[in-house]
Amino acid sequence: MNKRLITLIVNGDRHELAVAPTRTLNQVIRDDLRLTGTKRGCTSGSCGVCTVNDEGGRAILSCITLAVEWDGRSITTVEGVAEDGKLQDLQQAFLELGAVQCGVCTPGLIMSARSLLIRKPDADERAINEALAGAICRCTGHIKVKKAVARAVQVIADREREHGTQG
Amino acid sequence: MHLPSFEYLKPDSVAAAVRMLGEADGRAAILAGGTDLMASMGQRLSKPERLISIRDLPELQGVTLLADGSVRIAAGTTLTDVVDHDGLAARLPMFHKAVRSVASVHVRNMATLGGNLALPTRCWYTNQTETWRNARAGCFKTDVEQCHVLASSHRCVATSSADTVPALIALNASITAVSRRGERKIPLADFYRDDGAVPTILDKDELITSIQVPGFTGRSVFLKVTPREGIDFGLGNIAVLVSGPNERPAVVRIIVNSLGPHPMRLRAAEAALLEQGLADQGIDMAMKVARQDLGEVTNLWTPAGYKRRLVRTLLRRALVELRETEVGGR
Repeated sequence: MNKRLITLIVNGDRHELAVAPTRTLNQVIRDDLRLTGTKRGCTSGSCGVCTVNDEGGRAILSCITLAVEWDGRSITTVEGVAEDGKLQDLQQAFLELGAVQCGVCTPGLIMSARSLLIRKPDADERAINEALAGAICRCTGHIKVKKAVARAVQVIADREREHGTQG
Repeated sequence: MHLPSFEYLKPDSVAAAVRMLGEADGRAAILAGGTDLMASMGQRLSKPERLISIRDLPELQGVTLLADGSVRIAAGTTLTDVVDHDGLAARLPMFHKAVRSVASVHVRNMATLGGNLALPTRCWYTNQTETWRNARAGCFKTDVEQCHVLASSHRCVATSSADTVPALIALNASITAVSRRGERKIPLADFYRDDGAVPTILDKDELITSIQVPGFTGRSVFLKVTPREGIDFGLGNIAVLVSGPNERPAVVRIIVNSLGPHPMRLRAAEAALLEQGLADQGIDMAMKVARQDLGEVTNLWTPAGYKRRLVRTLLRRALVELRETEVGGR
């Protein structure tokens, strides 16, 4: 099988890779780039642990996406969420509220919630439920996860208001 | 799961894609969103020798609201782009709700409308890993003329689960399919076959390029029942469309799906409502006769008795919701 040369921008870093067309984005991220934060679960689009974000912040399932389909495009993985080593509000909220049990689903949940906050920063409960429905925690820790995302929405709104009154 | 090997083709136009599809002589598959195909290839249920990727082909992207009230959606438009489109929800609220009910945000970000219309049917036997399937002989979908879901069946009874289909059929939508031989327009109502193994009349060398939905100013409702609120395939869904007043409706169209190998139109129930209107009496009569159009109902996924009751329940809920919607509203 002929490998194809592709360019993949992951968390801002440009990679030139020779990949077989049968390999998924998930395999390339984990096995070639050694970014193992992104997990591999059902490989059929039902569990969401492989979620990464595209250029527009949309949640994409890396395990049912061919790497060659992403030639020339960018993705953000869970390793690229923190900025300069500082956790983002969303991550901080997960940490403070203990929205983690075994942790396998956490990267997928972070990337699903990050996608929501980028596209709809004022998300209400319904929007949070909808955004997280495709990312499953088998430890059944969904309540704390939902609270953590709601907390992040609140923290971001509070900060914006503060800046608003000061500015 | 690792994917079986294939040759990857990336055409730069619809014309090139259609040429590649024709040259492949049935041994190629179209890769659009891939949300169903990748899983199906992982299970070795689908082993195309070539994959023709149409992702991001500009010709296949976009929703257009036309001046005559109709809507044209290019087949490669993702379901999220349909949901997020400014103006579509106001024009076709039932269709918008149906699209938003598909799977999860993640899947909708990738899956396309054309892909949802051509979604393969599913059953609990065949939609499993190859190892699982090898534990028994094949079936109508693979290589043997038998059905493991319904032993007495002479055809594949796998379920058609596409949520956008009942809404689009109720709205009299049609699709455009292109091949090297030319282009044809197919009313969506005529697109599906009574055979889960070959569920549509789309030829192997044809590509769905667009969906056309005529303008509609009456009232409409879409409902879907799922075990959980998100992700799941429906246990049953319904699209009901009515124009005219409750007492004397001029048009009634009722389509159900996710119950058998193809969407079904409940004509007897429609006739009851045209005659008796949407008062309790008319709704009772519609529920009573709904069964006539269901044909053979199987125990696939849920018991047949449950499916018959579910259709009555969906019908009542949809009609009551519709009745309470203001006439002239949507």
